[in-house]
Order: sequence, then C-alpha cells, then structure tokens
Amino acid sequence: MLADDAACNSRNKFAGSVYANPGRQLDLYGDNIEVDYRGYEVTVENFIRVLTGRVPPSLPRSKRLLTDSNSNIFVYMTGHGGNEFLKFQDNEEISAFDIADAFEQMYQKKRYNEIFFMIDTCQANTMYSKFYSPNILATGSSVLDESSYSHDNDYDIGVSVIDRYTHYVLEFLEGINKTSHASMQDLFNSYDVGKIHSHPGVRDDLFKRPLDKALITDFFGGVAQAEVFPPVEPQEGTPNSGEDGIVDVDVDLDAGPAVGVANETTRAQMSSPDSIHSWTLHALKELRAWACLAVVGILVAFSWSR
Amino acid sequence: MRHWLRVSLHLCISLTYVLCTEASNEHFHEKLSLRSLRDGKVASTFTFTTVLNGVEPRHPETLGSKDASQHYNVFPLALGQVLREYGVTELHLSMNAGKWNYEQWGYPDELSAGTGAELWVWMGEGGPLSIEQRWDGLRNALSGLFCASLATMDEQRTTSPSMTFIPEGALPIWNRPHLLRHASLPSEHVCTENLTPFLKLLPCKSFSGIASLLNPHRLFDSDWHGMGIHVLWHPDKGVEIRLAFQSVSDPLRVSRSKRRGMCLSLKPTQSSSTKSPQDWSFRSLFNRQIDRQCPVARTSTIEVALPVNEAYSLEPSPSTVELNVARFYMTNESVPLDINFRWPAEFTYPVNPPSQSLVPLSVQRTLRGSSQAHGQVSVHLRNHLDESVQAMYLETMPWLVLFYLHTLQIKLDDAPRDDLISNISYIPSILHSRPTTLQALITVPPKATIRLTMDVTKAFLRYTEHPPDAQRGWDLPPAVIVPLVNGTLRGPAQPSLGSRIYTPILLVDLATPDFSMPYNVIIFTCTVLAFLFGTIFNLLTRKFVIVRLTLNPGCTVHDL
Repeated sequence: MLADDAACNSRNKFAGSVYANPGRQLDLYGDNIEVDYRGYEVTVENFIRVLTGRVPPSLPRSKRLLTDSNSNIFVYMTGHGGNEFLKFQDNEEISAFDIADAFEQMYQKKRYNEIFFMIDTCQANTMYSKFYSPNILATGSSVLDESSYSHDNDYDIGVSVIDRYTHYVLEFLEGINKTSHASMQDLFNSYDVGKIHSHPGVRDDLFKRPLDKALITDFFGGVAQAEVFPPVEPQEGTPNSGEDGIVDVDVDLDAGPAVGVANETTRAQMSSPDSIHSWTLHALKELRAWACLAVVGILVAFSWSR
Repeated sequence: MRHWLRVSLHLCISLTYVLCTEASNEHFHEKLSLRSLRDGKVASTFTFTTVLNGVEPRHPETLGSKDASQHYNVFPLALGQVLREYGVTELHLSMNAGKWNYEQWGYPDELSAGTGAELWVWMGEGGPLSIEQRWDGLRNALSGLFCASLATMDEQRTTSPSMTFIPEGALPIWNRPHLLRHASLPSEHVCTENLTPFLKLLPCKSFSGIASLLNPHRLFDSDWHGMGIHVLWHPDKGVEIRLAFQSVSDPLRVSRSKRRGMCLSLKPTQSSSTKSPQDWSFRSLFNRQIDRQCPVARTSTIEVALPVNEAYSLEPSPSTVELNVARFYMTNESVPLDINFRWPAEFTYPVNPPSQSLVPLSVQRTLRGSSQAHGQVSVHLRNHLDESVQAMYLETMPWLVLFYLHTLQIKLDDAPRDDLISNISYIPSILHSRPTTLQALITVPPKATIRLTMDVTKAFLRYTEHPPDAQRGWDLPPAVIVPLVNGTLRGPAQPSLGSRIYTPILLVDLATPDFSMPYNVIIFTCTVLAFLFGTIFNLLTRKFVIVRLTLNPGCTVHDL
C-alpha cells in the first residue's frame, strides 16, 4: 500500500526511483515493483479488509492476502503517528485497538502462523501495546512521548529520504541473505539508541518461540529467483543474471503512510513448543501474576497503614 | 455405454481443439517508431501486437457455463483469462501522464492521449450476467492486473458515449446488440508499478527485443508518457492485442544538463564540441540498447521518421528507406543495436512557434468563475483549415459539475450562431450517482474561432464524499473532439470519425469544510455559548407575567 506517488512525482528529480540514502546507492523502487493499493485506495478500511480477508468476491488475487495457518506474515507500517494511532492519508487514523482486533480475527480464521509486526512512527511502541493474539512478535521505533527521527537529508530533492530506525534496520537486513542463520535476537541486538535517537521496543510475550531460535529468514527472504535463459545455441555467453524477482519494499513517505504486508508461505513446519516447555512458560506466567498481585497488595497495605 | 460415448466425445472435442490451436498460429510483432518533433523533442512509440488467428470473442450467452481451456504460446494468458471471463469483445485501456501538445506534435500514434486513465469497452449483451456486473468485474480484474485504481471507476464515472467511441475493430453479429462502457479517471498517475505488469504480458518481457529499451527511469522522466492496452477483433484475422507505450523525450533538456556538467569539468571532450543538443540515440533516450533479438517475434521493426529538407545522419544505415521513413529490421541488424540520429546544424528554438497547426482543430477548454457554487465552462475551437470542419464534441462530466444546457451558447466573433451546433444528445447527471454525457455535432467555419459557453454549478458534497486531500480539488475528465473525416456524420456503424483530440483536464474547487478539530471545537463551543447566553438573556430581560383571561359575554378571544 502506497498512498503517495513519490517515485513519479514531477518534483522528484530522479524519476521512477526512491532512494534510501543521499548517495543514491540503494533504489527502493527498482525496475519491477508492483503496488497493490495506491492513492485513495489506501484507507484504514481497505487495510483491515486485506488483513481479515473480508473482501468483495470480484477483488483480484493480487489485492488479497492469500495466507493460511502455515503462513508467516511481515507487517511494516510507517507514517505520522502518535499515542496508539497511525494516520492514513492525513484524514483518518488506525488505532492500536483496530490492529489488535484485526490480528485476533486473523488468528481465529487461521490466517497466519506467526506475524512479525514492525512500525516506525513517533510513539510507535504504543501501537503494539494492545495486541492480545498469540504468535505475534512486534517491534517499534520509539516509546511513548518520544519522536522518531529521520536520518538523511537529500539536498538534491530537498527532503529527508529515510527514517533513522528504518535506515538501521534496513542496513542490518541488507547483510542477510537467503541462507543466513541470523535470528530475530540478532536484529534486536543491533538496535543502537545512540544512532537511532529513540528507544526501539520489542514485544515478545505473545511469541511462543525464543527469539534466538526465530530466524530472520522465517519472515524475510521469500524472494523468488527466476532467470530466463536464451534459447540453446552452440556458443552462448553467460546468461543475463541479476533479475531478482519481486522485492517487497515499503517506502517511507513524507505525508502518506506506507503499509506493507509481506507474506511468506515458504515455511514448511511450525515449530510447536513441546509440552514441558509450555508448562514452564505457563507456570512462570502464573508466578509472575501472583508476584505482581503480592507487590500491589503490599503497596496498598503500606499506603493504607500510613 | 453412455459413459464411453461421452468420454470419446470429450476426447474428440479436445483433439480437435488441440489441432485447431496448432493450426491457428499466434503471431507476435513488435515495432518501435521514432520521430523528431518541431520543438526538438523526440516521440517514440513502442507497439507490441499479438494476433490470435481464427478466434472469436466469447459469446455472452456462454458466460455461465464452463469455458474452453486456454492455452497460448505468446498471447498473454493473464489478459486472455480476463477477456474471456467477462466476455469482452473490444477493450481500450490507456494510462497517460502529461499534456499532449497537438498543435506542435500532431496526432499521437495511439489516439488515446487523455491525461489519466481511460477505459472503454464494447461488450455483447445477453447471457446470465448483466453488462453492469461484467463491467464491474472487468474493472476490478484490470485494476489488479495493472496495479491501478481502475476499480474506483464506478457508476459515478461510467458513461456510454457511443457516437464518439466507435469500435476500432469489428463486432461479431450476435442476436443481441453490443454496448459501450466508458470511464475515465483523470487523477490516476502512471509509474513503474504499471509498467511492470505491462512488460510481463510480453512474450520476451524486457529481456530482449525492442521491449528491452523500456527503461522506467527514462520513460517516466519524459515530458509525456502513456501506455495503452487495446484488444480488437477482426473477422478475417482473429483477436488482436496491441500493447503500446508512447513517450515524448526532450534531448535538449538532457544534453543541457550534460553540458552543464562538462563546463564544470573544464575539459570538453572532442565529441561534445561536434554534438548538437538535438541528437539522440537509444543510449541517450533510454539509457539502454538492444542487446538481443526477441526470438518469438514474427517481425521486429524500428521506424525512424526522417526530416524533410534538412540535413541529418543516421547510424547504422537502415534496411530500407521509403517516403521519409527509414526502417530497420531486427533480423538484418547486428546486435547490440544502438541507432544514432545526428543533426549537423545547431538547433535553434523557434522564437515564434510555427503558425500552421498539425491538427485541423485546436481546442482550449477552461472552467471560469471564482465562486465555489457557480461557474462557466468555456470551449474555444479554432479551425486552421480553409474549409469548414465538422466535429463531434463530447463531455463526460461527473455529477460534481452540473451543466445547464439551456445556457449553452455558441458565438462566432461575439455574435451568437446557434446554427453551428446540432445533433445534441444529452444525458443529465443524477446527484451522487450518474455523470453527465453531452455529445453534439459542431461546425467550425474556415479559419475561424468559435466560443462555446455553458453555465454550471458546482455540487455541494456530503462530508464523507470528500477525498483525503479535499483542498486540492477534483480533477475533471478531458473533453473529446473528433473531427469528421468526410465532413458528414454517418451512422455509428460506419467509422467515418477522424482522430480523437483530448483537451487537458480541469481542476474544480468545490466548497470544502474545515476538517480540522479546532473548527468542530469552535462550532461546538459557540453553540453552547449561544444557548447559555440566549437563555440567560431571556431570563434577564423578559418579564414573565400571568395573564388572566376573563371571558366577557360581549368579547371573544380574538379581541384580546
């Protein structure tokens, strides 16, 4: 979903390109991008419809999220946001409750195996605070009452081209290839508050697997590599390489939100936690709840006695 | 026994089908034509034609039943499935950006040059699905296929101007008539995401052949660019799909920025001193060259229009030259191919633009009036020929702008000339649903300018009908002018219409509320304050007394 036409806007000096840095090394728009929802079609209603699958029958397949209980879904959102909301198109907003309920509906409809939710806005971490469905791993760029900052200013275009958080996440992910064994823990360890200028957050209490066992390639790297070879002839040069399928990139824009849902269905098996492990988790949770209650009780009693 | 009969019948049918498809060849032709324009720009048109021989469009009566399986070699399956699913006989989809300058550039090679997206379709009536259902499904399918917002061309934008948009191919003779559906979306933009699915419909994609020149970074940087998908049916040939991409690039702009870079480097190379800014090559226009031939293309031609009475040089030498057109056949050329076109003379900007226009009529349409409620549409039509020209005039206006047909006036030199307009067909709009369709036949006297005016009102929208950027205004679709070729209007069955001319789009500023929160807060506070003030004021200033009515016998209540 892309609300703004930044690439082909006549004010963009570099037509058909959205660069991630002022040096123009990385073109996010590329040569073979596809955008499913754009312009006025990017609405909160459409976004929730895509997630929950409540769409009219004539909607084409490219505009649906065709996932099932074996699919890992990556949701990336960016734009202007605040405490528990993200603005769409500068005239409506999606709240943290809306997304949480949409994910719960997806869970009940068995539309996902795991969701990795990433958001880069001001006060981003409030957006995932209301999630309550299992198997969701969430991360955001900044805590409550904290802004999320931009990284690079391109003086040729006159605007900042990328956000700090997204820049450093992208920098980390650019070093990951299809066979990488880097885990989500490695990604979260790479967060540097000094560089990002805000406090990124991670929420893994709904996520069943330990973070150092969850590979990044479980959510990224579903890029199909296809090459078309020329017809077989006696002497043929090297086939033209470098055509690397579709790249799911979600671009941060000045005014409108960019919402991306990358869907990876290549996952074969869901690593369900064994019973002992789940039992310990459960016991730990219960213990924590009782401990919380006790602490609160002591505090109340203390204040009462005074 | 019966079962065996059925199986053998199925086998027979599938066998004949396979044989038929083997016999009916699919042809793929690709062509690139380039021509230098008067103002130094270069127009390039890529045309990819696929012909499916001996195939007829799907009959709408068969829409409910199972369709024959589709197997194509070079014909785009993704598009073929959509066409058969909705029983489309003829389809034209175009997505353009920029304003085509008819007077300086002449007609475009592909006529659909209106800004934004335009879709028009001829479909046979009948069958289990209504035309509206099929039109709706088709728009949705195409919007998914081409990554465009075509699904928003709903009944608020759909018209049927069958006098202006006559079929380019032929329509099969079925028992029910064919109907036209037309919609335009002037605010639609075109970018790489539209080109990607376009290239995927080609048999060679952008790996080889002429299509390898389609470089999005250069095409979308051009002064005007547009892509089109056209599906026609010819009774003798079959179904033809024509994919076209047109662009108008400006070599002067590119070379100027290059020259500036050279000045800074203080070392002009030898080649730069001899280079005219108007020169172009595949490298300079598209930043690519043709490295490989498309093996499945039946013909692969590059046409370069040669200037008349001017010196030029063309490298490599073309295969044939005839009638000011140089042709390169890819089969004769060696790859990699990069055509260089040089002008020895230095380019000079025409200070006064040449007076003779390249099209018979030039059109100027404006929406006048500063008010947010009322306005006036004004169309100036100038005839450049020495004979009078008849033209069809079409407005398909969304209900946002309401026409008052009784105020329609045609003036020639400030004198009303109502005889110049005839054959008016008018479908008024319905608020919140149907757009206006106004078609009329206009006669423009030789070497004259006529002015056509009509009063309009601008609609007041409901709160939820405003777009997200309501302050920007609404784009209105272009008007279409079609000069008649023979000067007479025959029936719509006989294509006597000339080439369509699209006017630039308009932007209408409708009354918009202040969507911001302070506005609501102020309104709410004011209401509360007014209510409190009014109550207290009444309490303070009014004197409430009880009037006792004593009904005397001689006096009635009215006398009190």
